[in-house]
Amino acid sequence: MQIQQIDEQQAARQGDAAEMIIKTRDVDVFYGDNQALKHVSLDIPKHQITSLIGPSGCGKSTYLRCINRMNDTVDGCRVEGEILLDGVNIYGPEVDEVLLRARVGMVFQKPNPFPKSIYDNIAYGPRIHGLAANKDELDEIVLTSLEKAGLIKEVQDRLHSSGTGLSGGQQQRLCIARALAVRPDIILMDEPCSALDPIATAKVEELIDELKENYTIIIVTHSMQQAARISQKTAFFHLGEIVEAGDTEKLFTSPSDERTQGYITGRFG
Amino acid sequence: MTDTNNSPVGSSWNSDKFMAGLAKRKRSERRFRLIGLAAILTALTLLAILLFSIFSKGYTAFVQTYITLDITFAESVIDKDGTRDPDAIRNANYAKLVQDALRAKFPEVEGRRNLRTLFSLVSNNASDTLRDMVEQDPGLIGKTVEIPLLAGDDVDMVNKGYIDRDLAEENRRVKDQELRWLDILEEEGDLSLHFNTNFFTQGDSREPEKAGIAGAMVGSFYTLLITMAIAFPLGVMTAIYLEEFAPPSKFNDLIEVNINNLAAVPSIVFGLLGLAIFLNVAHLPRSAPIVGGLTLALMTLPTIIIAARAAIRAVPDSIRQAALGLGASKQQAAFHHVLPLSMPGILTGTIIGLAQALGETAPLLMIGMVAFIADIPGGINDPATVMPVQIFLWADSPERAFVEKTSGAIMVLLAFLITMNALAVLLRKKFERRW
Ligand SMILES: Nc1ncnc2c1ncn2[C@@H]1O[C@H](COP(=O)(O)OP(=O)(O)OP(=O)(O)O)[C@@H](O)[C@H]1O
Ligand SMILES: [Mg+2]
Repeated sequence: MQIQQIDEQQAARQGDAAEMIIKTRDVDVFYGDNQALKHVSLDIPKHQITSLIGPSGCGKSTYLRCINRMNDTVDGCRVEGEILLDGVNIYGPEVDEVLLRARVGMVFQKPNPFPKSIYDNIAYGPRIHGLAANKDELDEIVLTSLEKAGLIKEVQDRLHSSGTGLSGGQQQRLCIARALAVRPDIILMDEPCSALDPIATAKVEELIDELKENYTIIIVTHSMQQAARISQKTAFFHLGEIVEAGDTEKLFTSPSDERTQGYITGRFG
Repeated sequence: MTDTNNSPVGSSWNSDKFMAGLAKRKRSERRFRLIGLAAILTALTLLAILLFSIFSKGYTAFVQTYITLDITFAESVIDKDGTRDPDAIRNANYAKLVQDALRAKFPEVEGRRNLRTLFSLVSNNASDTLRDMVEQDPGLIGKTVEIPLLAGDDVDMVNKGYIDRDLAEENRRVKDQELRWLDILEEEGDLSLHFNTNFFTQGDSREPEKAGIAGAMVGSFYTLLITMAIAFPLGVMTAIYLEEFAPPSKFNDLIEVNINNLAAVPSIVFGLLGLAIFLNVAHLPRSAPIVGGLTLALMTLPTIIIAARAAIRAVPDSIRQAALGLGASKQQAAFHHVLPLSMPGILTGTIIGLAQALGETAPLLMIGMVAFIADIPGGINDPATVMPVQIFLWADSPERAFVEKTSGAIMVLLAFLITMNALAVLLRKKFERRW
């Protein structure tokens, strides 16, 4: 088992046949009677960036929310099929969805810092999970998270002022830092740049690119350029189905499906 | 309507028809503003009239007439044996001192009836005052001191100008003779107005000059304490459960409808409920703040629940999702984030609910808090009354002097209500959040 893992890591470094951290098998999602996802099967490679693209309402966010079971909090939402995280079905009876969400962090479309200090925003996760034994450790976690999120220079002398007082781009990076502070393996991002200006977007993209060293990132985006710029894998959703998924480069240069072709060239969506 | 100039149909931007429409719109807007202004002015005028009528009648309740008399603390009356025995001093006949002083002032008065009238110029509270003085300082015995003594309510009314002297004597409560005495006292500078401390430190009394609202204030305080201790936690927990945890179901819809209905139930019905449950079934003490508080808690609960739910709902979902996304449980998200963020709104609603409870009379009548109670309640189980009920009781009393007491008590109650509402507004202002 261990040997096999090392092999897989080596394979990952070499760029092909990466280890798949998430395996989705035949997932159907229903909101009441309305089926939002149909037989979705998708594998997510470890320590890479996978982008989900597709026209509005095709189920990208729904799929993302399946991975950390945020759909459980939506009334009337029902998920069928299997999603394996490191080989364990996260919808299985022995999985605690609250702990799962600590492992699978999420960054939302609109920056949503808590109306508390920058410090408390980041410290909240470690506090509730007991990740820090004392104040010094907590300080350490907060600072490294801010560092990883590339925000430390901008906020280091106002850690105790309100997180909502930051600019939109800073708020979004604060949210990323907050997610990082609970040491997730996977970070889900639902259009994290859609509320940001181009400069803030560039910063967040840069950050995401750095993060893939240590985290697996799944990002929903409406920007084809963004998907092409930052992701290694891309999945194209259409009407609740995955039409095409694979290497970003291949999907954007020589899509095999007509609908993909149409979407990336801007003919619909 | 919004077709451009070159459009073949519709009127253009500068056509007469368009201009007429524009003028009409502006006119109607101006008209609407005027109507709104008029409505506000009317409301303010009515409020001003109300306040003026209460204040002009009530401000005199805060002062009380005193008659200054030369009191001789005769040893023969207070301490016949000269032992200075505290018991003897306590039980002495101090009324006699007052009577002697009055007779000395008006030596010409004779006959039992006339004397009785003369003695009634001074409140019977005067003997208590004298007793307290002597008990404090027995050295007074044997001396003669000028002391302002609380006047009877009729004197007070005359002094404050509430008695019409032009009325025929037989229609007047205060007779000519008394008026003469009062004129003499007035001329000699023996009548004076003092701040009415009794009004704020004493319980109710049959004698208007002695009556105070302290008993009612303490009763209201205990009652509200019970109300808050029960309705606040219960209301907030209910609201959190309904908003954050309860799955949508027919049953919960039913609960929701019922809570909204409860808020609209006339308060007297809650009084009947309190009577049936707390008195007849639970056998709690009658007329006590504990029962009043429980009953008002029933009444306030829906108000608090509705306010708390609105405040909780105003917390944006993104906050809950942020917390859940970090691996917080539903309960953690609710108690670490949603509840603190909605607290200002909840407190505002609670204060307004309590202010309503403070002004409530009807349900308390049902549970017997309407009795005449002279003692200031010492706890939640003592018989008590509350401020609005005290107002109701005084308004019902025949003595002229209770009219100003009524207005005075209304002013005190209004002061409390305004303070509470101002607190609610302040809270809202201070913690107002823009998302
Ligand atoms: N909470 C919900 N309740 C009911 N239906 C929902 C809910 N959320 C999403 N849906 C439905 O599920 C389908 C997929 O929605 P989803 O939000 O996943 O789309 P999306 O791809 O993220 O779109 P967008 O790009 O606009 O964000 C849509 O038809 C939508 O109406
Ligand atoms: Mg979406």
